[in-house]
Amino acid sequence: MENILEIKNLSKKYKDFQLKDINIKLPKGMIMGLIGENGAGKTTTIKAILDIIKDYQGEIKVFGLDNRIDEKKIKEDIGVVLDDMFFPEILMPSDIDSIMREIYKNWDSSLYFKYLNDFSLPIKKEIKTLSKGMRKKLEIATCLAHHPKLLILDEPTSGLDPVARNEVIDIFLDFIQNEECSILLSSHITTDLEHIADYITFINQGEILLSKTKDELMEQYGVVKCGLEDFLKIDKNDRLRYKKNRYEYEVLVENKKEFNKKYHMTTIDKMTLEDLMVLMIKGVK
Amino acid sequence: MKGLIKKDLFMIRSNCKILLILFIVYLIMTIEGNDFAMFLLPFMSIMLMISTFSYDSYNKWTSYAITLPNGREKSVRAKYLATLLIALVTTIFTLILLIAVSYFKTNTINMEEILENMLGMLFGIFVIQAFMYPSIYKFGVEKARIGIFILVFGVAIIGGVLSKLFDFSKIADMFKFLNQYSLIVIPLAMFGLLYLSYKVSEKIYQKKEF
Repeated sequence: MENILEIKNLSKKYKDFQLKDINIKLPKGMIMGLIGENGAGKTTTIKAILDIIKDYQGEIKVFGLDNRIDEKKIKEDIGVVLDDMFFPEILMPSDIDSIMREIYKNWDSSLYFKYLNDFSLPIKKEIKTLSKGMRKKLEIATCLAHHPKLLILDEPTSGLDPVARNEVIDIFLDFIQNEECSILLSSHITTDLEHIADYITFINQGEILLSKTKDELMEQYGVVKCGLEDFLKIDKNDRLRYKKNRYEYEVLVENKKEFNKKYHMTTIDKMTLEDLMVLMIKGVK
Repeated sequence: MKGLIKKDLFMIRSNCKILLILFIVYLIMTIEGNDFAMFLLPFMSIMLMISTFSYDSYNKWTSYAITLPNGREKSVRAKYLATLLIALVTTIFTLILLIAVSYFKTNTINMEEILENMLGMLFGIFVIQAFMYPSIYKFGVEKARIGIFILVFGVAIIGGVLSKLFDFSKIADMFKFLNQYSLIVIPLAMFGLLYLSYKVSEKIYQKKEF
């Protein structure tokens, strides 16, 4: 399968933070969800792809081209929604159309206004008068209107109500229908990722903890809930992390079928991405 | 790049009404004999461009702009070109003011004096902007604003003190011959300075991380 995005050994050092050996492959027609707590390195990774940060080690290829050498060519085909970064708020949605027409070769005004209409966004109102959710929708409309092949989205659904979130998620799903387009998406709303992501990459403290297909993750991983007696029976090597609650232990296991065969415990719950994050970050090894 | 220039012009559009009112007020003040009023308009042009930097930074436009296919250098170039455009517009308005003053005061139009005044004013604007823009790209708009005021007042105070202590008339005499070429020397100097400033800003922005 051809990769639309390939990151090899991406590293970047800051005074108090380090991105270490990030490797990501995103095939065409797929959605990859980036998860991790605040400050884990998700946005830094995204910024490196877009050349917003400099002086990093490693190689980043988008559409098979080097992101620094072929920067302009690549950016014609990327749509971006970044957390809190957008047009100055005294501009109006109609200005954005007028500006972007001059910036992107493929800017499609009719598509842009169609999205504004679908999202019930005003055309002649300053951005600062829009609610947070409406701004987000405007950012999404702007990122889609030049027919990009890759969407890079940092928290695209934050601030949206559930109805709007569903609407936006449907648009993202439509976007990858032609199988030539892909999405790299970071989100704290893990349920959204459970709905749409094909791959999940979990970044923690600047390192990739795991990167797998979502189906693989959901089918293999599980959370065992048990009392102290059962917990003590579990071999250290059979548990990834555990957390002690008031009345029970929660144990994250990597292969729930194997685990079940060995221990015959009935209360193995289906793992959610939230469970995975909480247990991997806060749990004990 | 045209898109980026448009963006800056759209941003100052909301201030156009205020500018028009100010223009009328200045026109009346100037006709009444307050010559200083004609310099307020160019000063406003500096403030307008600085306000675009403030909005850019507030909404993190500068990082967003990097994700567009323009490249970093065009972002900087667009800012300088927008500055030149605004300067052109203010120059035209100020020209009207100066011609009006000259006509109302003396019933004649002294074009040579007007052009000299004009160049002096433009030179002033460009010197401030030439120093200010690289500082904004390097330190951000807030720090640069404070820095430039300290610089302007510092130069004024030091210049004032030095002129009291030493006699610069001989040095000034040495450059007097330039006076006859002022219509060539001043434009060359100001565009040269602005170009140099653009190159420095571009270098800073190329390396900048967000």
